[in-house]
Amino acid sequence: MVTTRRPTKVKTKDPAPVDAPADQPIPARPAPRPKDEPLTIKDVRLSREGKRPSRAKPATNVLREGLRLERVPDPSILVLFGATGDLAHRKVIPALYHLWRTNLLPHEFLLLSIGRREYDDEAFRAEIQASLEQFSRVLPLDDDAWRSFAERIHYERLDFDDPKGFDVLAKRLGELDEQHGTRENHLYYLATQPSQFAAIVAQLGRVGLDHEHHDGGWRRVVIEKPFGHDLESAKRLNREVGKVFRESQVYRIDHYLGKETVRNLLVFRFGNGIFEPLWNRRYVDHVQITVAESIGIENRGAFYEQTGASRDVLQNHLLQLVSLVAMEPPATFEANALRDEKVKVLRAIEITPEDVPNDVVRGQYSPGWVAATQVPGYREEPDVDPGSETETFVAARLMIDDWRWSGVPFYVRTGKRLPKRSTEIAIQYREVPHRLFKDEGVEPDANLLAIRIQPDEGIMLRFGAKVPGLGLDVRSVTMDFTYGSAFNVDSPDAYETLILDALQGDASLFTRADEVEEAWSIVDPIIESWTSGQAPDFPNYDAGTWGPPEADALIERDGRRWRRI
Amino acid sequence: MPTKAAARDAAETPATESAPAVLGEPILRWSARAHSIADIEAELARIWAAQDLAIDSDGEKIRHVAARTSVMNLVVVARRPELAERCAATIQMLTGRHPSRTIVIQSADPDGPSWLDGRIEAHCIMPSLDAPEVCAETIHLTCGGEAGRHLSAIATPLIIHDLPITVWWPGEPPLKSQSALDLLADADRLVVDGSTWSGDGLERLRQMAELVEGKRLVVSDFALARQSRWREAIASVFDDPDFLPYLRSLRRIAVTYATHDDTGASGSTNLVKPVYHVGWLASRLDLKVVKPLSTVTGPARQPSAGRVHHRGGTVKPAVGRGLAATLSDGRIEVAVVVRPVVSDMPAGTTLRVELLAERRGSELRTDVTAEAETVHVRVWQDGVEALDRHFRAPRRGEADLLAEAIETGRRDPVSVGALQMAAALVGPDGVGS
Repeated sequence: MVTTRRPTKVKTKDPAPVDAPADQPIPARPAPRPKDEPLTIKDVRLSREGKRPSRAKPATNVLREGLRLERVPDPSILVLFGATGDLAHRKVIPALYHLWRTNLLPHEFLLLSIGRREYDDEAFRAEIQASLEQFSRVLPLDDDAWRSFAERIHYERLDFDDPKGFDVLAKRLGELDEQHGTRENHLYYLATQPSQFAAIVAQLGRVGLDHEHHDGGWRRVVIEKPFGHDLESAKRLNREVGKVFRESQVYRIDHYLGKETVRNLLVFRFGNGIFEPLWNRRYVDHVQITVAESIGIENRGAFYEQTGASRDVLQNHLLQLVSLVAMEPPATFEANALRDEKVKVLRAIEITPEDVPNDVVRGQYSPGWVAATQVPGYREEPDVDPGSETETFVAARLMIDDWRWSGVPFYVRTGKRLPKRSTEIAIQYREVPHRLFKDEGVEPDANLLAIRIQPDEGIMLRFGAKVPGLGLDVRSVTMDFTYGSAFNVDSPDAYETLILDALQGDASLFTRADEVEEAWSIVDPIIESWTSGQAPDFPNYDAGTWGPPEADALIERDGRRWRRI
Repeated sequence: MPTKAAARDAAETPATESAPAVLGEPILRWSARAHSIADIEAELARIWAAQDLAIDSDGEKIRHVAARTSVMNLVVVARRPELAERCAATIQMLTGRHPSRTIVIQSADPDGPSWLDGRIEAHCIMPSLDAPEVCAETIHLTCGGEAGRHLSAIATPLIIHDLPITVWWPGEPPLKSQSALDLLADADRLVVDGSTWSGDGLERLRQMAELVEGKRLVVSDFALARQSRWREAIASVFDDPDFLPYLRSLRRIAVTYATHDDTGASGSTNLVKPVYHVGWLASRLDLKVVKPLSTVTGPARQPSAGRVHHRGGTVKPAVGRGLAATLSDGRIEVAVVVRPVVSDMPAGTTLRVELLAERRGSELRTDVTAEAETVHVRVWQDGVEALDRHFRAPRRGEADLLAEAIETGRRDPVSVGALQMAAALVGPDGVGS
């Protein structure tokens, strides 16, 4: 996409008239009410009448209806902090390039990359090109698209601890807005170390880069996970961010929520009439959610030592999946309605430190074999303490104390160096109330609905069928829907979805402050119990197995077993 | 009516392919011939029960695990053999994505005795290394004599019940014929390419709008679907808040199309695509037709100097001045011009869409042109160039368009609106002079 920018124009005033009908009398104001008497809804409504003229609905571009995007993002600058880092090169910038390549970004779009290292624009663009050639999901690069995208990439060196640098940044953004018609719309993307989030946000506030303008010029901030290290630090960070940005300006990213199958979960549950009636304690025996990784810690020893599986996956990805599976239908498909329902689920989960020994299992891998390759144990990984007590596996039994799920356990597990990479939600239905075919061949398993999130996204339903023949043998069969083979459309990467949403101001797939805190309030007692309890007997599972034997015991105690994935 | 045994005798021995599948590439796993609908039904049943459907594994024949998959019935009415072959090739490209029971019907020797020749094939594709092959059936039917005129009687017995029926009718569908009406009575979707119709194509366009009015039948016209890149480009102009107010103040819509006919005589070039542009814009803006399209008389207008040129080849104005119509939103009238230009581009191709809007004494002129890979948008505000953009938006092939038509499960109000408005522009009596 190539654009020649028009000369700076004089802004035309909003043509929309204030269209209060002239012949409509303004109602008389109600008599003043004594101060100590509480206001009723009627009072509030009456007091508003005559004060607030009805506003003309803003004009919309009707030609957009039926096209890929019914609303395109506004002209804007994405200010990428941590632009020289791994996340920016592997995920954020490739996502932006794809959005650009497919004409989904506004023409007046700029990427202002911020990093500590010294680059000029050209040198940084060359480095980005090299990264795209490695990490872009569509190769080779489209020369025309890359050229026009590269023109929009600028680099600014900035030491995040240096306040003066932010003054320079404010000035630079003003100039870029003026030159490129980006209308003072800024999306600040924090892809830095978490320890720098608060400082960057504070500096943005100090130089006024958080201020939104009445006639346009929105300011939003995207914050990468991990959002806090525990409940206390998450609250502190929320407070720091809240001093500068309103909650509606904050987009906490959990890339799992941008995955196609996760989004499809909402459509599957609330867009089909046949599943929701069966989605409750009456029919569901239990739910299993697995986030399994075959990889190890991939040279992130220092980071992983501080986090472990519970902070890295349980607090965010796993609990997000739990809340999406368990939530009530929202009244509307609007960000806050959706997030209200998710928060209710998290609030209904309670784990105390006393529950932890029974309901939570942790593990750490020892050397073993994964995918026909010998791999070291966790304690032999670089930058890992040889006596480390950091968990690389966690399994938990969560109970959601609400009307829908009371008594239905949610078994969740995640781990590194498991036999395969797989993320799956399995809804295990109850047995039929009366075993009609118990004397005839093999009794079929209870029905199961499995939602595969990665890889091989799809949905599988298991049910019993009669084996053809004269007898009455019953066997379990599956109906399998694979996303990739049913839809022609090239699925966007989760980051593409989420960045586009943030640019459009849609926060549905982002995590709200109270969600983050509720999730920490579930994970905190677990970590607290581990910290204050006995030292673990680590390592306790071989790389390439499905975790420690205690994880099997956790579920087998209830007469169930983990699904073989 | 032949007995089942006789029918089996009449059917030829099926051939099976036992080579292992290549990931993502369709492979022919079964092929048989039959000469009656009953034989064909029998063959279809045999495919999935056949012990022969096996593959070689280290020299040993093993029962092959294959999943018969059908997400819909696709009936293709191809009047010519080469058209049938082209359609079959396109459909094969979609085997993995949209496995369907496909029935390709072509007729031959319409004045001879009735006969039927059927070729039944099963194509399979391996979507991934650890997944079973996905297979779908294709039935190629050639019908001679009177039989070829009863399309519904041929297709209906072979339809998988409860699955949606899409009729793809390449070439010239006789939309008023009883045969077509019978076939389409049970169909959910009709797929056509209006840009290939003979003459100006507008009468058939009007018939198609009549056909879908008030019915559940959904129409997908490749001619309209191909224009999505134009629509995106035009819509993008009005994403700009400064230009958006002009959208409701259009004064003129001009569409220039390629013709090979120097005289520019009406009916010599297919006008479906240019008229769809106007239909789409008018329907989105809720305009009404005040005066339908009619031929403009008088000497040809010279194209604006320096503005009509196309990389696709040389262009010059045709002798005819094209068609004109008038639209209105109830307040102001919008002039419509659809004009020919002699060009090397395929006849009927849109070369340019121009919009003129006037608002409070200010003028906004938009000019959109397209190449094979890009769409070019330029905007002038009060005579000053305000925007010059190139979108990378390649022209789409038939397989993509068919896939899109299949994937759009619902009635698309934008397409319906564009079709109905295009028909209203043509008027009840066709294009006037």
